[in-house]
Amino acid sequence: MSYYDIDAILTDAEKIPCTFQIDVPDLGYLDNQPGHTLKSGSRVALPIWLAEMLAIANTGAVDMDDPSQSSKSFITFDLPPALGNDVVQALKADPRSVPLRDQSAHFYALATHMMELSEEPELSAVLRKTFVSRAAEIALHARKVGGGGSSYHGREGGGGAGGKSKGKATKEDNASNLGVGGAGEDFLRGLDEWERKLFRSAHDGTKASKEWMENVKKR
Amino acid sequence: MALPLPPGLTQNEVAFLAEMEMVTVVPRQRLDTIDLLSGRTPQLRPPHRAQLPLWLALLLKKQRRANIVPPAWMHPASLAEIIHRETKEDPEAFSAPPPPPSRALYSQPGTARRLNHHASYLDDFSQTQDSQQQQQQQQDILSPPFLPSNVAESPAGYLPYHWLEVAEALLTHAGDDMPAPAGEVRSLLRDLVEVRAAKMRSSTSALEGFGDAWLTLRGVGAMELAENRAFLAGLVDGVRKIGASAEATRREEEEEARRGGEYGGDGDEDSDEDMGL
Amino acid sequence: MPMYGDLGNKLVQHAKRTQNLSHLPPYQTELVRAVAREIRDLDKDVAILLEPFQGSFDPSAEQATACTLLVNHLSMRRNKRCLLAYHRTRTDKLEELVWNGADVLDLAGQTTGAPKGVADGNEGSGTTSSLSPQEEDYFRQFGDLLALYKGQWTDIDLTGSLEPPRDLFIDVRVLKDAGEIQTEYGAINLTKNSQFYVRQGDVERLIAQGYLQKLG
Repeated sequence: MSYYDIDAILTDAEKIPCTFQIDVPDLGYLDNQPGHTLKSGSRVALPIWLAEMLAIANTGAVDMDDPSQSSKSFITFDLPPALGNDVVQALKADPRSVPLRDQSAHFYALATHMMELSEEPELSAVLRKTFVSRAAEIALHARKVGGGGSSYHGREGGGGAGGKSKGKATKEDNASNLGVGGAGEDFLRGLDEWERKLFRSAHDGTKASKEWMENVKKR
Repeated sequence: MALPLPPGLTQNEVAFLAEMEMVTVVPRQRLDTIDLLSGRTPQLRPPHRAQLPLWLALLLKKQRRANIVPPAWMHPASLAEIIHRETKEDPEAFSAPPPPPSRALYSQPGTARRLNHHASYLDDFSQTQDSQQQQQQQQDILSPPFLPSNVAESPAGYLPYHWLEVAEALLTHAGDDMPAPAGEVRSLLRDLVEVRAAKMRSSTSALEGFGDAWLTLRGVGAMELAENRAFLAGLVDGVRKIGASAEATRREEEEEARRGGEYGGDGDEDSDEDMGL
Repeated sequence: MPMYGDLGNKLVQHAKRTQNLSHLPPYQTELVRAVAREIRDLDKDVAILLEPFQGSFDPSAEQATACTLLVNHLSMRRNKRCLLAYHRTRTDKLEELVWNGADVLDLAGQTTGAPKGVADGNEGSGTTSSLSPQEEDYFRQFGDLLALYKGQWTDIDLTGSLEPPRDLFIDVRVLKDAGEIQTEYGAINLTKNSQFYVRQGDVERLIAQGYLQKLG
């Protein structure tokens, strides 16, 4: 049911750089110039839901310069800056120190979507390693914050949605939480949506185990 | 939603199921057999030991009608050995589960039997073995909580599937029956929990590399599974999604190669490239 | 310069927020209307673009127009998807609330963030409902449907606790007057501050609602 999937819809709203292959008189507003013609060769940032189809759709016309080629498309596109080379190199070097959320709140969803549109074997390998190594770090933080090992309870009180979904540590958290210092806070702040879900799963698991252990006495 | 719980069992549900495990009790009062759904409990004639399901044992303990004998693996020496194995001898894998009792009858040590001659698990341990019942219920018992891993005779040095739940229950409600001070056993258990949690976390690194990868969960306990299930499932699913398009391409190529080989022609003839507006 | 689909995005962001909340925030009537308006405007644009061609439009001959038409079409589809997803997220939440035993009065009388008590109900003091009229209707009908379904079984409460049982009988203290309940041993009158030893299954609902307190 990905049609109704909120995260998929939000991911599709991310913009990617596109280059128009033809002149289009009525689309000047896409480049902040309503009323003007959008010239062939213009580089515009379009949301994926628009760019995806414009890139695939076939104009039906034959390329006059090279009739043997299959017909042109309206635009061509590139990977968004969030998946640019400097990000990839930074991830290769140290995946845990890159705040993915600063690149895109839907980093992995964005990347997997782009990989469906064009082959990116290097990106795929880098992302897999990134995802797995960051996940181990997430599990560690979830355990510390969820009270496993220490007697800390504060997280659950952080206001239902706000506390859990943001994964942020408040000042109170830092005071009583051993081991999760500023670096830990930064890491959690840099999690994208997929990673936040993982954090929530790990944290819920730890919390439920802790509650169970405490309740054994009450049987 | 109708069922708001995630897939799998919750910790409370696991603990509930763990109460079906058999444990050894030393009765303080006589008690006749009770007809339960899975069979009949043994007659309790003090001071003879008997085997009962944990939930019944805990009830009797509360009513001061019996004492519970903790299984051998819970002894501090056994736990220390397990911790040693987990940390020093094999820091990657979890310690092995107890060997299956498919050959020997625990209540009659020294007798080996063929696999298919199991009675119901309760009858196996009751003194009043009804041979008619024995013939009626002939199933192989191969999984917890029906394996006899928490009775007094269970082998030491192995953590059974429900180790954490059974240990916590016994420590809390039968702490005075422990061979060693409950506090000592408890702290060893806590250490074990932390060591294994760390091991679970680091085991995920197996998924980093390219291509097929797997996590070995042999020896992991029920409670640990319940705790980590959602996380591990999410992790594996994420890895799957990241590799999804590469996988699809690989399969297409395989398919084309196969088709090309079979028909010996150009596999491209049906390609969908000319998709007009 | 706002682009087509931006309003739809706002709606979806509301939906995302809603997923993480335990209650339903107010229905975004104005935003929904604006998105629907945008769809109608786009449709008008398409009609205007196609008018000169009188039904025989050749995309390969008029590439620029074809492109514009495609953009309009995709924008309409995008807005539709945003609208549907927003409403779907809210009805999912409503269904969850019904399964958890929420009262329609709780929701209707709610303003952002401040749920009223069961007794207050819908005041006429200008409190706007969190739900659209259609949603209130949906909530009511779904509640009826669930009650019909549950009614088939008298021994099992399908919306009851999912916790495995601990003790069969428990000690409870009555916190607020709860009237009379039926047990296998007869009727018990639950008056404030009295204590009883009852079957857990009989009183689980009352404990969840705060009428009784489990002891020990």
